[in-house]
Amino acid sequence: MNRSELESLKREIAEVLSRAQAKEDLDFLKVKYLGKKGILSQYLRELKNYSPEDKRLLGSLLNEIKEELEEALRKKEREILLAEEDKPLDLDLTLPGRKPKVGAFHPLSLTIKEICSLFEGIGFEVVEGPEVESDFYNFTALNIPEWHPARDMQATFYLENGALLRTHTSPMQVRAMKVRKPPLRIIAPGKVYRCDADVRHSPMFHQVEGLLVDERVTFADLKGILSYFAKGIFGEKVRLRFRPSYFPFTEPSLEMDISCVICDGKGCRVCSQTGWLEILGAGMVHPEVFKTVGYDPKQWQGFAFGLGVERIAMIRYGIDDIRLFFDNHLYFLGSFR
Amino acid sequence: MKVPFSWLAEFIELEAGPTEVAEILTFGGLEVEEIYDHYETLGEIVTVKILKVEEPPGLKELLLCEVTDGREIFPVLTGAKGKVVPGLIVALARPGSKTFFWEKVEVKEVRGYKSWGMFLSPFEAGLSEDKGSLLSFPPNTPLGAKVYQVLKVSEPILEVAITPNRGDALSIWGIARELSLLTDWPLKFPVLDPSLEEGNAPLGKVEIWDEDGCFRYLGRWFSGIRVTSSPLYIQKRLIFSGLRPINNIVDITNYVMLELGQPLHAFDWGRIEGGKIIVRSAKEGEILLFLDGIERQFSADDMLIADERKPLVLAGIMGGEDSGVGEATNEVFLEAAWFNPKRIRMSTRRHRLTTESSYRFERKVDPEGVKKALLRATQMILEIVKPQSFSQIVDVYKVQYEPTPIELPRKKIKDYLGIEIPQDKVKSILSKLGDLTEEEDFYRVVPFSFRQDLSIPEDLIEEIARVYGYEKIPTTYPHGALYRVTLPKERKIIERIKEFLINLGFYETITYSFVDPKLITLLNFSKDDKRAHPIALENPISSEMSVLRTSLLPGLLLTAQFNQRREVENLKIFEIGKVFYRGADLAEERINLGVLLGGKTEPEWYEETRPYDIFDLKGIVEALQEILRQPFEFRPYSEEPFLRKGLSFDIYLGEKKVGFFGRFKSLLVRELDLLEPIWVAEIYLDALLPAYQEVTKEEITKPPKFPSTFHDVSLIAERTLSVERILKFIQNYGLSNLEKMKLIKIYEGPPIPEDKRSLTFRLWFRAEDCTLRYEEVEPLVEELVKTLTEKFKVLPR
Repeated sequence: MNRSELESLKREIAEVLSRAQAKEDLDFLKVKYLGKKGILSQYLRELKNYSPEDKRLLGSLLNEIKEELEEALRKKEREILLAEEDKPLDLDLTLPGRKPKVGAFHPLSLTIKEICSLFEGIGFEVVEGPEVESDFYNFTALNIPEWHPARDMQATFYLENGALLRTHTSPMQVRAMKVRKPPLRIIAPGKVYRCDADVRHSPMFHQVEGLLVDERVTFADLKGILSYFAKGIFGEKVRLRFRPSYFPFTEPSLEMDISCVICDGKGCRVCSQTGWLEILGAGMVHPEVFKTVGYDPKQWQGFAFGLGVERIAMIRYGIDDIRLFFDNHLYFLGSFR
Repeated sequence: MKVPFSWLAEFIELEAGPTEVAEILTFGGLEVEEIYDHYETLGEIVTVKILKVEEPPGLKELLLCEVTDGREIFPVLTGAKGKVVPGLIVALARPGSKTFFWEKVEVKEVRGYKSWGMFLSPFEAGLSEDKGSLLSFPPNTPLGAKVYQVLKVSEPILEVAITPNRGDALSIWGIARELSLLTDWPLKFPVLDPSLEEGNAPLGKVEIWDEDGCFRYLGRWFSGIRVTSSPLYIQKRLIFSGLRPINNIVDITNYVMLELGQPLHAFDWGRIEGGKIIVRSAKEGEILLFLDGIERQFSADDMLIADERKPLVLAGIMGGEDSGVGEATNEVFLEAAWFNPKRIRMSTRRHRLTTESSYRFERKVDPEGVKKALLRATQMILEIVKPQSFSQIVDVYKVQYEPTPIELPRKKIKDYLGIEIPQDKVKSILSKLGDLTEEEDFYRVVPFSFRQDLSIPEDLIEEIARVYGYEKIPTTYPHGALYRVTLPKERKIIERIKEFLINLGFYETITYSFVDPKLITLLNFSKDDKRAHPIALENPISSEMSVLRTSLLPGLLLTAQFNQRREVENLKIFEIGKVFYRGADLAEERINLGVLLGGKTEPEWYEETRPYDIFDLKGIVEALQEILRQPFEFRPYSEEPFLRKGLSFDIYLGEKKVGFFGRFKSLLVRELDLLEPIWVAEIYLDALLPAYQEVTKEEITKPPKFPSTFHDVSLIAERTLSVERILKFIQNYGLSNLEKMKLIKIYEGPPIPEDKRSLTFRLWFRAEDCTLRYEEVEPLVEELVKTLTEKFKVLPR
């Protein structure tokens, strides 16, 4: 044995290793080189016949070859084992997964949540109140006295006990102000009721009422908050217009239209060719309402707005029959997953 | 309100067309909902050519014409003998259309001869007074063309929505006035000659007894009149406005009402007994047969126009049949009054009777306009009806109209609107609302009598804003301190429950708060259960929606029915909403959670489909218990009469019932036409939410330091032995280091005897300070098994 003999052994090993492909090849090499009767073992046994000087040189070379081989075998084995797991299996991967069946929020819940979170983001607090109301909170306290023709604006359901089903969420303005001191910002979502039933009207529907009272808050600020809301729900590109209107509990009053989101204001069936969709009513809180709740109208100003949730959901989702919301057909509900 | 554009043009110098005028009104606050051509609403009235004229035997008065619209040939019957000749082009109202006077045209059949429409005279087409001839066209007129387009006749109508505060705008004059306020276009008012106020002495007397109801009452008498139909131009305007022409006198009263907003009423003076008109409140039980043919009984709040013997008119609302003006009328008494809006409204509400007249009185008529309207009507009667004589005006003015001055601080305009509006603009607007005077710090406005909607400074600010233009007011954001907003824990936990159920595959539903009382009855609540006595609606939409729900089950069951009838058979639905009980105050409102689970699991390739069972529902309720973080107790055999006892539980929190769940009885499932099985749960969230608490630090479990070891115990037990009892027994047995335990297997079948089953429990042990060895635990478990064997007569397996 001499140095060049060992060098060529080293090359030989490198070559056979590179050709090894299966676990069996490796086992064969292990026996051939490293086994008790293997080539390297034989060389190592022969070492004792050499001088101390050669023993040291050749020995370290032999050890080096042995260690390299062992390391290479380990690496190769790992490679082969990993590669073995890449072999295709007898399994149809196109079978559908074991999918948990997920239900869905009601679209009106989603819409209410979205509206509320927009306002919660700017410091409005969500409050809720009774659906069975007194004449006082639903009308009188909102500056709609008993014999006022404005009562015709809202066809009211009366109950056998003399109470009524609230026709709007506006009573929450009064209820909130009665128990809180100004300044305040509240948002009140909830069910409301009117004797009306057709494609566009449901005897039960949802509104969200908003109220902001502070020392100096203006009609211009109201326009600002309403723009924030409309852009938040319908996107930055939506265009707005404000029309004077009449609500007994606000003065001045307005109605807000948005550019039709279906046709982008060009005119279509949904917007009756006008390019605009009426979205909400609002106004500056009427001093009579402040007086009723014990706020000094000389010190406090405020605005209120009320919007119909179904209307907004219908526009957003392109739904033309309000009854779909209350039929609760699971196919329909499933589309809001 | 319908505003015929040509009529409006008589009262204001219009400088724009209908579309632009509509825009101006809408942005001024009088929303124009629609613009349409009145003639378009009549339907298909087209030109046709007569091809053949026959006189078939047996049709004495009628001729049979064969006509063409250029595409088809069809028969039309007509009585216009001598006027129809072959080759003539005439106007045909097709079946489905209307004549100008609202006569419906349909396919007619006389003695087997069909007629596809009706030829129109110029009068029937609303074009001239000519009733005798047929409307005909030159020979080169295209066939099948729309007649009014051929004649270039149109009448744009603006449909204006008038808000209830703007009674002053309920007339052509009122709209013109408003338009002038918004545009500065000059107004035109008909000249009323002062001589119209004069006349011979009155023929009768007027007395106001009800001063609360009637503030002012004017009237005058006309004699020697001939009641006929009114001229076409009057009839046309009434028709454009949606009113039916009656006769010249009645038409004039309606015409003036539409024009000036002041309702008038005409009486047949010959029918009045005692020569006196009395305005008085009704006596309880008095009766009158009205113009609409209905007899109504009065109560003491009603206000009547009466003579000495009998009621004549429900004041300001509708007249009696007997005293109305008809062809036999010779003398007429004409009324123009200013009634208390509240009293009118009380009567319209009680009698559920709203008329053009009452609608205007309720919304306040102009107290200064009453006389003007009477003069305007006089002018028209003199011109059209030509009476032999007429009387002076009787004017009983009981309550003087006193306008209240409004003081508007100059500064307030900017404080309120957030913008400085030029002073001259403000002054110009205010001066059109009333008499304006200026003080150093404020404007003083005494509103005109027709603007009774103006009473406080804010009203004036709205006027300034809307005339100036809402679009010119900037968009800014409020300034204000930040303050704390808390999310109520109730809302948080409700959201959590919803999310949980939805992730389990449930759909959230929203159903009506009012239900069919039959569904409540069907649930069979006992008499002393408050749920058996829902609050009823006085005026429900239908009997299916006539009581407030006392449970969420009716809505869920109906939703199940709706879906199952539409082939959605397997249902996982829930609702969180209010139920309503009779309460001390308005009503007791409670928030409940209702769950319905119906049908089977979905079929899957990896899983057999199976009907939902009690443990599906129980598991969900158990998980809800964890979410609500409150120790419910499930008491088997629910008391609910609609649940199958052996498959149901009542849920208790302490001694308070907070819900129930179980199998809906099969008989009821059948009665509702549902598919089996139906599982339902209802949980009274209101009873649980207040006590809900977030996790406290004492409840936090630290990750364990040492490993656990487990031990399985298998027992052969009587089938009737409750697993819960064994679990509880083990729990309380006092095994040291027992961490948790669980039933992991039930086996029934050979070699286990038929009345027994094998139960396997797994017990986990863990020590806080060391690793437990199996050998340490084994003797404890062996001892437990021995005890169980003795206690429950079970055998170790």
